[in-house]
Amino acid sequence: MTDQPTSLQNLPRLSSFVDATDLEGALEALQQHGSDLTVLAGGTDVMVQYLRGDVAPHGLLHIRRLRELRERSFGRRTVIGALTTHWQLVTDPDVLVRHPALAEAAATVGGRQTQNAGTIAGNLVNASPAADLLPVMLVSDGMATLKSSAGSREMAVADFVLGRRSTAIKPDELVTALSFDPLPDSAGEVYLKIGRRHAMEVAVVGLAARMAFDSDGTVTNAAIAAASVAPKAFRADLAEKRLIGTKLDDGAIREAGELVRQASHPIDDARATAEYRRRLLPALLREAVTICRRRAFYRGEAAQHAT
Amino acid sequence: MLLDLSVNGVRARLDIEADATLLDVLRGDLQLTGTKRGCDEGECGACTVLVDGQAVDSCIVAAHSVNGCAIETVEGLARAGGGLDRLQRGFIKTGAVQCGFCTPGFLMTLTAYLREHPSPTADEIRGAVAGNICRCTGYAQIVEAVRASTGADV
Repeated sequence: MTDQPTSLQNLPRLSSFVDATDLEGALEALQQHGSDLTVLAGGTDVMVQYLRGDVAPHGLLHIRRLRELRERSFGRRTVIGALTTHWQLVTDPDVLVRHPALAEAAATVGGRQTQNAGTIAGNLVNASPAADLLPVMLVSDGMATLKSSAGSREMAVADFVLGRRSTAIKPDELVTALSFDPLPDSAGEVYLKIGRRHAMEVAVVGLAARMAFDSDGTVTNAAIAAASVAPKAFRADLAEKRLIGTKLDDGAIREAGELVRQASHPIDDARATAEYRRRLLPALLREAVTICRRRAFYRGEAAQHAT
Repeated sequence: MLLDLSVNGVRARLDIEADATLLDVLRGDLQLTGTKRGCDEGECGACTVLVDGQAVDSCIVAAHSVNGCAIETVEGLARAGGGLDRLQRGFIKTGAVQCGFCTPGFLMTLTAYLREHPSPTADEIRGAVAGNICRCTGYAQIVEAVRASTGADV
């Protein structure tokens, strides 16, 4: 073939492409050849890594045809099938109402082409330190459902991601769905992202917050998570504790911002310096909790009118 | 490995390597070189084609992952008689083509978008092409081209 990129010509070639048509078959393929196969869904990370030579699997296991991984349900916990694309998160009205920050984060992932192809489980399993959906998963107590031929287990997203591009998934397992706590009526949530430009950007810092308030504006619950400022996205639990019970007075916000900053371990890279990232965190936290308070107020109003 | 596609309404059955990308198949095997190879890592949008109506970067789509799908490329936009479609005519009218390398990708992204949103605003158009990079026009003429093709005042 004359039109192949030069990068591919030096790679050990893939020996197989397994096009799974049902979950049982996919899990069987993983049980037999799991350590030789890389799971392929939208390909926005896997194909780029393969073409660059960052990963050299013997084969790809294509799972995009599995209908079992597309289902979404909105009960006490929201369940989102692994193959749900970023664009589906942006446009699903149930997601917009119950998980506005998830839709907001998905809308910042690349351009439309990436949003059409990339999936929610892909964003999790790729475990990029800069993953846009991860901080939102953390503030909504996300759990991953992992299936293998031997059975099924649930694991908190916070435990599933071990570090930069590293997860607790076993070679014979597949992430089939994610589940989340829906946003309560008395709460607001937001995902804020700083990049070097507006579109098609990897986060310099990403910050998600979900804050619940009582009727006089006191914080009853706080969840804050940051990405791109440590090897993996993390919950800033000390900052959360500092905000609960306050009315978001200036001192509480300032101290919480300092606690987020202290919890971070950013690095210098092509996008920003570690120092710049540290400086952004308190400012982003202030903006995030302020937006949460405003959104919670309007959400509460809307819920009252609905009843 | 056998790959079975519909490309611009024409069925193509090919024997394709396991690791070929959709872009490799279009440009190499099918000689449809209207789709361009730009960054080759899903960043620039020059290789955008439609898979079952959805815009994707064909340089990072595994060919066998779209087995059985309907592919649309820039070659499919013009009508059989040779006439360009409204969007293509809009690009010509407003001077939205300079070096032309990004043009097929923009046309395909916008073709899919206009099916969802037939009369977009200038801001909506800019948002729709966030995944396509043009280093010549500064995007102004491209936005005008879309507006011209939808009958809006330019």
